[in-house]
Amino acid sequence: MVKLTGTNHILGHRLWAKDFPNPTKTITTPLLIVGAGISGLSAARQLRKKGSTDFLIIEMENHAGGNASGGENKYSKFPMGAHYLPLPNAHDAELIQFLEEEKIITGYSNGQPVFDETQLSFAPQERLYYKNNWQEGLVPRFGNSFALDEELNRFFAMMDTFRQAKGTDGSYFFDIPLSSISIDSKYRPLDTLSMAQWLTDNSFTSEELKEYVNYCCRDDYGLGIEGISAWAGIHYFAGRKHSASGDTVLTWPEGNARLASHLKKYAKDNLSLNYLAHTVTETENGVQVLAFDAATNTSVRINAGRVIMATPQFVNGYLMPARKELAKNITYAPWLLATLTLSYKPDEPGYPLCWDNVLYKGKGLGYIYDQHQSVQQLHDKTVITYYYSFAGTDTKKSRKELYKRPVEYWKDFVLAELETAHPGIKDITEEIVVHRLGHGMVSPTPGFIFGAQRQAAAKNTGNIYFAHSDLAGISIFEEAFHQGINAVNQLLHDTAMDT
Amino acid sequence: MVKKKLSFEILLLLAVFTIATCGLIYELVAGTLASYLLGDSVKQFSFIIGVYLFSMGVGSYFSKFITKNLLNTFVEIELLVGLVGGLSSVVLFVLFESVSYFQGVLYFLVFITGCLVGLEIPLLMNILKDRVQFRDLVSNVFTFDYIGALLASILFPLVLVPQLGIMRTSLFFGMINTLIAIVVCIALKKELRRRQILLLKGVLCMVILIVVFIFSESILSFSEGKLYGENIVYTHATQYQRIVLTHNKNDYRLYLNNNLQFSSADEYRYHEALVHPAMASAKSVKNILVMGGGDGLAVREILKYPEVKHITLVDLDEGMTRLFKTNSVLTGFNKNSLNNKKVTVINSDAYVWARECTQQFDVVIIDFPDPSNYSLGKLYSLNFYKTLQHILSADAVVVIQTTSPYFAPKSFWCINKTVQEVLPKTDAYHAYVPSFGEWGFTIAVNNPSVSFGSVNRKANEKLRFYDYDFEGLNNFSKDMLANDAEINRLDNQILVRYFDEEWGKL
Repeated sequence: MVKLTGTNHILGHRLWAKDFPNPTKTITTPLLIVGAGISGLSAARQLRKKGSTDFLIIEMENHAGGNASGGENKYSKFPMGAHYLPLPNAHDAELIQFLEEEKIITGYSNGQPVFDETQLSFAPQERLYYKNNWQEGLVPRFGNSFALDEELNRFFAMMDTFRQAKGTDGSYFFDIPLSSISIDSKYRPLDTLSMAQWLTDNSFTSEELKEYVNYCCRDDYGLGIEGISAWAGIHYFAGRKHSASGDTVLTWPEGNARLASHLKKYAKDNLSLNYLAHTVTETENGVQVLAFDAATNTSVRINAGRVIMATPQFVNGYLMPARKELAKNITYAPWLLATLTLSYKPDEPGYPLCWDNVLYKGKGLGYIYDQHQSVQQLHDKTVITYYYSFAGTDTKKSRKELYKRPVEYWKDFVLAELETAHPGIKDITEEIVVHRLGHGMVSPTPGFIFGAQRQAAAKNTGNIYFAHSDLAGISIFEEAFHQGINAVNQLLHDTAMDT
Repeated sequence: MVKKKLSFEILLLLAVFTIATCGLIYELVAGTLASYLLGDSVKQFSFIIGVYLFSMGVGSYFSKFITKNLLNTFVEIELLVGLVGGLSSVVLFVLFESVSYFQGVLYFLVFITGCLVGLEIPLLMNILKDRVQFRDLVSNVFTFDYIGALLASILFPLVLVPQLGIMRTSLFFGMINTLIAIVVCIALKKELRRRQILLLKGVLCMVILIVVFIFSESILSFSEGKLYGENIVYTHATQYQRIVLTHNKNDYRLYLNNNLQFSSADEYRYHEALVHPAMASAKSVKNILVMGGGDGLAVREILKYPEVKHITLVDLDEGMTRLFKTNSVLTGFNKNSLNNKKVTVINSDAYVWARECTQQFDVVIIDFPDPSNYSLGKLYSLNFYKTLQHILSADAVVVIQTTSPYFAPKSFWCINKTVQEVLPKTDAYHAYVPSFGEWGFTIAVNNPSVSFGSVNRKANEKLRFYDYDFEGLNNFSKDMLANDAEINRLDNQILVRYFDEEWGKL
């Protein structure tokens, strides 16, 4: 049985023609948040924490969460987007506070946060299908020559140096959130070249290392080493201060939808789903937002004092024609996810089924075992989610292909790849749900992170504030979380200044 | 004359085709058997293929010494191949457990079969050399030889092994070889000498093979019995595991997925040690929980305390608990404990059940299978013991089966250390169980005023092993200690690694 799901691109694409009915209702609110992805939900939380409860938040989809959404079938919950949160850097006080509030951090020991054991990814965590066998870990190890091992060690040592490095102002060069990195621009030139180029320039030539780094880039950024800037590629390793010790990550069967559900409670009384904002105009004393209510086929006019656009820039280009120029040429990588229900666990030669299972030189990024985080001994069926990012630099072309091909094509595509590690998987696949994300995430192409465009796009204008992970250039929970908080802080500051 | 020649040639070429198929089948049977019984399929197949081809070379070499009565010799060889090749798998299955030189027998049989098969083609070519042009002869013979091999390699995994099984496959092809010999005997009677004797031999071989074929099932169970070294009395497959009960002299043994669970001769040592220290030292023993222990043997011990009001047993496998409630041999062992009115059997996942349970227990006895894989490892994690906390009464005593401190000291003390993180007063003890070796337990309690050595009550029956001398079991010799074990957590599952390492050494 094959099912097709995805972001509601059909509704979203109505922004091209903007053939919406005229507004039949007017709503007034001091503050409107457009978009209930992580940035929007985080903004809602920050508002409530600061004592503001009078705001509205609207969302196009029939659910909140954006990329942090999930699904469920009879046998397991599963992610429909981002599916884990690395352990927070020790100095990311706001994220740590959030995790404490949600009891993901259960206490402290020797000054270090203690995480709820059941929310840390269980062992065994990762395995790689390499040389026709499963090996532990994602870095190729089996049958490595001395030269290859040396190169791998040199690479990781270099990443560690970047990880520890601090600028003249005492801040890290690579950090999360991006807004906290050092103003020392020593390593910024790394943003002007691709990661592939940087690897070559630094004599990292082995296929195995390049494959591994390519996998990492695609995992966080969509595009691979050819399309991503070296600064971003290095940031994958250096930005996370815990990854050196090989710490586990936080994860849940429904992926980051768990985090979204924690945030949702701050927005639940103010949230309207199925509302597509289509026109945003500044007025004398505020902002006018026209939104289409997909449930009733009517439009509504929202007069807001201030607005937080927690929407990606490519959408903002349609909502505010003046921003179209700014939104141009920002790269968004399409993604495809496929959740398979298998009659039983696929066989496991070499190393048992892990949370993250990657095929070396695979077309995709491997699959997650959705029931891994369960304390049960047995499950009736096995549910896995396969991840595929379109790594071609012509993302428009990839996007067209994603939507043009029928779901049968993608089913065969996914099964063919999994067949290489699991012969006969087709015969034990009972159901497959294909999930399409046309604009899955922003890709930090060379020149984007430290370029003028990103800087300009992030500037708030008048009563309109912008908050989205694509303004950080890196589409991860932490960035979106901070974007929402920072927008609210700025907004409240400005409001206080005005009065 | 030409027609006769042609049919002669055709018959022999068909023979080539068939014996090529048979030849490869014997090789595949040997390789499959070797990897099934010895493991390490890459090595086994490699060696078998090598030895087989080598011995074919030897056979081909010796073919030049056969100068007379070629056709007769050909028939005799077919009969021998049929017999040896056909019976090879039977011999190997039966001998496996009894002989230490099994590999020798295996390669010997492969060698003989290979030699005989290696003789076939050169012999055939010599037979036909005066009747067929050499160029055609060589081409035809080898064509049929190689094509026959392809047929075998396709049929073997797709049809023969699934439908017939290994033993019957080799017997079946033995019969085909014999059949060819008989057909040649009949069709080419003019060319053969002492045809009657040959025919008789052929029929005899055929009969032997057919008889063995018919009885192959019982031979298989006989050999499986030999695999255990005991007589299998009962087997039962539940959804989760295969249960085998064997009987040897006065000893009944129970295996779960080929792992020994208990021997009736000495299980009393294990179960008395598991149950009585906790039952004696606990402040109260009204409400007891047993996790695992679906065989009911721990429950049998617990029922020796009249103070006990209720026992809850949580075991995942409904097939197992049902078996131990109904089978007459097994209820003999556990004294029908699972059917006692004080006992409630719950078939559920222990971890999930513990989370959802709202009762509190005075004594908790945990008798899980050893942490041999990551799935079972979860039941020994820090979080599991934390989960138990809310179902423990204030003075509840917990005892956990923690594998062997002698064979796996790091694993043993890892569990102990993990439990100690949750229950502040933790101790360990061990007992010698002959069929297992030294086996150990961790005992723990929240309330530090409880002393594990105290005897607040005794069983209402005389025990055979435990004399309420806790200190006696509490001493660990140097070689049963390990002080560098880490705490076992869901996110590191370090216990499974220790366990794998330590038991892998044996």
